[in-house]
Amino acid sequence: MRQILRLTVNGEAAESLVAPHQSLADFLREDLGLTGTKHGCDLGDCGACTVLVDGEPRLSCITLALECEGREVTTIEGVARDGRVHPVQEAFDRCVAAQCGYCTPGLVLSCVALLRDNPSPSEAQIRAGLSGNICRCTGYTKIMDAVREAAVELAGQAPSPAEGSRRD
Amino acid sequence: MMRLPAFDYRVPREVGEAVSLLAEYGEDAKVLAGGTDLLPSMKQGLFTPKVLVSLRGMAELRGIRDAEGGGLRVGAATTLRDVARDPRVLALYPALADACSTVATHIIQGTGTLGGNVLLDTRCTYYNQSAFWRTALGFCLKKGGDVCHVARTSPTCMATASADTVPALILMGANARLVGAAGERVVPVESLYTDDGRDWNTLRPGELLTEVLLPPPAPGSAILHRKMRRRQAIDYGFLLAAVRVDGDLAGGLTDARVVVSCVGPRPVVTPLGDLVAGRPLTAELAEEIAHAAARPAAPLTTHGVMPSYRKKMIRVTVRRALDTLRGEPSAAV
Repeated sequence: MRQILRLTVNGEAAESLVAPHQSLADFLREDLGLTGTKHGCDLGDCGACTVLVDGEPRLSCITLALECEGREVTTIEGVARDGRVHPVQEAFDRCVAAQCGYCTPGLVLSCVALLRDNPSPSEAQIRAGLSGNICRCTGYTKIMDAVREAAVELAGQAPSPAEGSRRD
Repeated sequence: MMRLPAFDYRVPREVGEAVSLLAEYGEDAKVLAGGTDLLPSMKQGLFTPKVLVSLRGMAELRGIRDAEGGGLRVGAATTLRDVARDPRVLALYPALADACSTVATHIIQGTGTLGGNVLLDTRCTYYNQSAFWRTALGFCLKKGGDVCHVARTSPTCMATASADTVPALILMGANARLVGAAGERVVPVESLYTDDGRDWNTLRPGELLTEVLLPPPAPGSAILHRKMRRRQAIDYGFLLAAVRVDGDLAGGLTDARVVVSCVGPRPVVTPLGDLVAGRPLTAELAEEIAHAAARPAAPLTTHGVMPSYRKKMIRVTVRRALDTLRGEPSAAV
């Protein structure tokens, strides 16, 4: 039986009747039209469906929409601030950290959460923080570059040669 | 796209209500904690419960509390990340923190729960597949068939215990609090498992795991956790080993115990008190312990990684863990 779901999505209150077996990914894409959240493996392995629930990365393909009652969900559509894309998005763009782009929304959201909790992560900490997001195009090198650049930018500094991207 | 089958969804606000729901629905109900194993399994058609009983409404099942007389009480719905980064867990039970930090991925560690890990379904390469895949081969013993594809003459299912936290919890002497309609009981985590991967746990119908109880660590004991898997993220292990030694490493041990998992339906516990009593932890003794730990384990073709390799790696993994304790860099295999 459908149940009422009330939650906040990208800062706006949402209310909807959803079936218990509807995943958060389906709810976001089909009921709210927020198609930036991608279906990948649909089994919780690949991270393409990553969104933030109360600020923490969650796999929306294996999260029931109803489990998010009263929670605050942020999708890739909600990370831009004041009409300007998020510094993490800018860094992904600058470093060419997306090729086909399918994993990018999930990676950006994992990265936003990672840098909020740890503004200057080590290489190992970046790898651990992004361990749930698979990219099959880039080989991750440019993604790592983008995370390092975003960290510097978020810390309010210009990227230095030592910490910046390697674009060869 | 893989959709979930339809089910009803209930959110009890207290344990008593949850237990009543589980008693009411019986076999038709499944408990939903983090959902990181249950929901993918449901998408693959491995479970089709009529009702999911969500634990999200019960704050009492989350969090880590000091236990009377020392030790900690971990709510069953506490996430693996919250266990792994708790300062008390890091100080008292570093092997448990290690084990939680090796589960799947960063995201799943923040979603999956300790209770869910302790009661993780047994796994097998012939079982954890889509309905389409399983239909093509013919169903196995664990899911509606009459033959085990791993051991064709076996009367029981050989799917393996795969929970990362369990070997360390067993060596810590952890207990589980189980609450049912008839009351509650506290049992050792070690006693939760059986030798049949199909009917793999000893919970009574309708019982809910509410807490994992960690006793104070024994003075002079050390526990290490090790995991082998194909990738260093995402994958379940193909081998888990935890090692405990008690006593003075240089002067003489009083006891040792090894738990090996991912090799059969239940973790294999090898007590080694007689072997180690009074002996210092030398390279020679480490090798003897490693051999003794590997002897009873009989890995089968449950994992897509050769059983002979997994068997050999038990010895190597245990010896390397002991080398770490001895402060020695590990020699080559």
